[in-house]
Amino acid sequence: MLRPRLAMAAVLGLVVAVTGACGSNSNSKSSGGKIHLTYAMWDTPEKDGYQKSIDQFEKTHPNITVSIQTFAYNDYQPKLTTEFSSGGGPDIYWVNTPMIAEWIKDGVMADLTDKINAAHIDLSQYLQPLIDLHKYNGKLYGLPKDWDTIAYFYNADYFAQHHITVPTGLTWNPTDGGSWLTFVKQLTVDTAGNDATSPQFNPNSVATYGVDSPNEMQWGFEPFLAENGVKIINAPYAKQVSMNTPAGQQTFQFLTDLMYKYHVASAGSDLGTDAAANNSEDQALFAQGKVAMIEGGSWETSGIKQEVKFKLGVMEAPAGPQGKWTVLNGLIDSINAHGKNQDAAWQFEQWLGSTDSERILGSGGYIWPGIPSLDQTYADYWKQQGVDVSAFMTESKWNTVTWPVTPGMNQAQLDIANLLAPAYLNQESVASALAKAANQANSDLSTAG
Amino acid sequence: MRSVKYILFYACLVLIAGVFVAPYVLAIFGAFKSPTDLFGTAPWAPPHSVYLDNFQTLFNSKGFLRYLANTAFVTGVLTTGQVVFGVLTAYAFARLQFPGRDATFALYLATLMVPNVVTLVPLYTIMREAQLINTYWALFLPYALGSPYTIFLMRQFFMSLPEDVFAAARVDGCSEFRILLSILLPMARPIITTAALIALVFGWNNFMWPLIVTDDPSKQVLAVGVANLQSSFSNQWNLVLAASLVALVPLLLLFAAFQKQIVRSIQLSGINR
Amino acid sequence: MGSPDLAEQVNLAAPRPPVPHPRRRRTARALRRLAVAAPFVLPSFAGVVVFLLIPVVIVLLLSFARWNFLTPMSWVGVRNFGRITHDYHVFRALRTSAYYVLWNIPLQTIFALGLALLLNRRLPGMGLFRALYVLPYMSMPVAMAVIWGWMFNARNGAVNHLLSLVGIHGPNWLGDIHTALPVVAMVSTWQYAGYNMLFFLAGLQAIPPHLYEAANIDGAGSVQRFIRITLPLLNPTMLFVLVTDVIGSFQIFDVVYVLTQGGPGTATDVINYQIYSTAFRNFDVGSASAMSLLLFGVILVATVAQFRFFRNRTTYDVG
Repeated sequence: MLRPRLAMAAVLGLVVAVTGACGSNSNSKSSGGKIHLTYAMWDTPEKDGYQKSIDQFEKTHPNITVSIQTFAYNDYQPKLTTEFSSGGGPDIYWVNTPMIAEWIKDGVMADLTDKINAAHIDLSQYLQPLIDLHKYNGKLYGLPKDWDTIAYFYNADYFAQHHITVPTGLTWNPTDGGSWLTFVKQLTVDTAGNDATSPQFNPNSVATYGVDSPNEMQWGFEPFLAENGVKIINAPYAKQVSMNTPAGQQTFQFLTDLMYKYHVASAGSDLGTDAAANNSEDQALFAQGKVAMIEGGSWETSGIKQEVKFKLGVMEAPAGPQGKWTVLNGLIDSINAHGKNQDAAWQFEQWLGSTDSERILGSGGYIWPGIPSLDQTYADYWKQQGVDVSAFMTESKWNTVTWPVTPGMNQAQLDIANLLAPAYLNQESVASALAKAANQANSDLSTAG
Repeated sequence: MRSVKYILFYACLVLIAGVFVAPYVLAIFGAFKSPTDLFGTAPWAPPHSVYLDNFQTLFNSKGFLRYLANTAFVTGVLTTGQVVFGVLTAYAFARLQFPGRDATFALYLATLMVPNVVTLVPLYTIMREAQLINTYWALFLPYALGSPYTIFLMRQFFMSLPEDVFAAARVDGCSEFRILLSILLPMARPIITTAALIALVFGWNNFMWPLIVTDDPSKQVLAVGVANLQSSFSNQWNLVLAASLVALVPLLLLFAAFQKQIVRSIQLSGINR
Repeated sequence: MGSPDLAEQVNLAAPRPPVPHPRRRRTARALRRLAVAAPFVLPSFAGVVVFLLIPVVIVLLLSFARWNFLTPMSWVGVRNFGRITHDYHVFRALRTSAYYVLWNIPLQTIFALGLALLLNRRLPGMGLFRALYVLPYMSMPVAMAVIWGWMFNARNGAVNHLLSLVGIHGPNWLGDIHTALPVVAMVSTWQYAGYNMLFFLAGLQAIPPHLYEAANIDGAGSVQRFIRITLPLLNPTMLFVLVTDVIGSFQIFDVVYVLTQGGPGTATDVINYQIYSTAFRNFDVGSASAMSLLLFGVILVATVAQFRFFRNRTTYDVG
């Protein structure tokens, strides 16, 4: 009695398996003359803006359709690499800066230099640092389509409630924290109403913290390191990190002191595993009113605006001992070097790098467009929403560093976060954690070479 | 005095049982609470009202019906294969004579020393080259042709059976296969149950291999589905707990129904060290 | 020539088959036996070769290579092994695994033995309790890890809630580098204590009662009886449980993946999780292969050591 059922199950399995095996690799089918492109990105509110841009593109290019594929941010690189390694992968995809060096080396990013020259695209319309960021050995791999800097989102209602006006010209230093620390202390209030400048302040019973201090490179410690004269790597494609210096230790000491000495920043454990806010714990705390201002990048604006119920403001980061520095980053779309629809993908790439598309993204408030002349569209959108985002713009004129680009940096970045975590959780000394992090990062960079 | 000792003894057992049962109870409570109920009440408190939406969401929009079906299918194939091919092989090792028998069996034993993780990367590579990533084949093939451990157990058992019945059947001219079917199988019920149980539990709960070899939701099994749900929706505990219940309940029901046999099967796998 | 006797006559009458060469006869018989056995053994043999032996050979080869699935493989000799000795990933991961084993094995063994001793009585309800304690064995480790994550949640978890009822402010169990690994060990103990208890129960029940009676007559106390009789006679069971548990402990993965992802920091970054990350998140296949071989070696050494330790202590004869 069991045998026929078993046999049927086996046949079913066989059929499913065979069709499964056959169908698993094709992801750009053309049906009836239309070319279908897959466009990969991680999950972000910008997706809606890109959909609008795609709709526009499909109108002017009726023989091409584009569909967006999203992945969880933490899975983006592994999932895409897995797809590339089995010969597939999307036709065109976002490249997160830590991946640039490796994906170029792996040959999955198409070299667009010739195409760009042949189409006479004016590269001067983009921000030069972003062009340089995506060049290697003189070859350019994509057209910059956005930029972002790191500043502080603040709770404007809270400021008003506590009669705090947004100051200018704040500075920090590793010795006593400077005028910025004093300001943050004024923002930190305990349950009895004392702020952190008052002798009655009770650090064990804080109602609202002034700021957060996340264990994150781009929107956490890199700006502070740069302002103290420390770079993660000294030059692009370096084989060693250069952050384990006395000035680097000072910086991390200051950042952890914010939490455990001055008690003006929420504890690392509130920011999730490794104090890295991988699941937007910082935004949740901010929305709940537990933190008065959080460090963040301009791309987070729409996500935060949707989550908070108070008036949102953006403040410049403080200047440091070495002046005003921020992390300037921007993305390109890369064309899959082994994709089957490279010409159609190039048409889409040109569109995404064009003023028409970038205007859609900018004026919809999704992201600062990669073409600076369109910046006003983004600022105007947010002005209408009641948020003044000019601080990001101001910072883009500061000294800038980029996210470090070198093979192995993707793994190194994870290891640095893992090994700094005990310091951010107040379970290990900064000197010891930083030394371990730098050693492991060096090991990762030298093996990836 | 005696009864005090007994009361203490049973109290101790009940306390320990509480530790074993608590996670299930808490999961059941949490799975039937609405999000507000979940954060509003203590975790030890039962739900204010039974909230079925968690399960609805899981089955309608999170694909858990598919995961359940996939898991059942893969586990079924894997278990059947391990039992069938295992019985055949163990019979040959235990009751047949052929050149190289002992050497081959020693080889099987040797593979027991190899930790699972050692074969993971090469197995993945083999599947990749054979274009079998994200297929059902990849999920059960490495396991469905028999497991050296259960073959070992079954061989032990078969070797302990009386020789004369088999000898008589051979003299009568029965083929080995007939002998296996009509003589061995009826006597081998307990060990076959053990083998099936081991395969079933292994297949249903297997995580690392499916994690590596599938990322297409249509082929995913429950273990991977639950883990992914937890990492994407880590704050929605009501949903996540409901998902873990979906993964647990089938085997728990099995256990409730066949508890005596299962306990006996496990003990059978430990004798004759 | 006299007349042949009857026997010879009978023999001469029956046709004699040709006597084949002895060696050829043995070979023919052997081949026949092989032919009979082949269909029984071939399927699992094919499985063992394709899915166990060949992969071991492949992993050996891969450990001398450098590959990321994307670009062509290159041969790097012993570089992967050389790196392992000063790559902090591997050192740390092995050390973390060792800590884990040191936490888990004593906890697990003592707890399982204790449960077996408790339930080794002829009292009503033993069967029910036995079933309850074995329940976790059938339960998917991934699903249980999810539930434990909920229970150990620092803010609204059941454990800290209970502690708060008696005035204790529970720690951030999974976010503190000092408590994360013990919590993972405890979860594993919970999972397999009942299963191991069954083996100890069988072992206990195999001890002939007359030994205890004799000891009683000699005036031995219960502790002495335990140390002198129970423990030594449990040695075979103990060996089995310890060997399988140590091998299992070194391969823990599911709980770590779900509960802590190797964190906080690197507190629970055990070797198996490290191998997974190296191969499938960092795509460094050569290193991952070398690490798996390293793990293989460690497990082998540990197993042989345990067998050696128990070699002279295992008595099977209880005459």
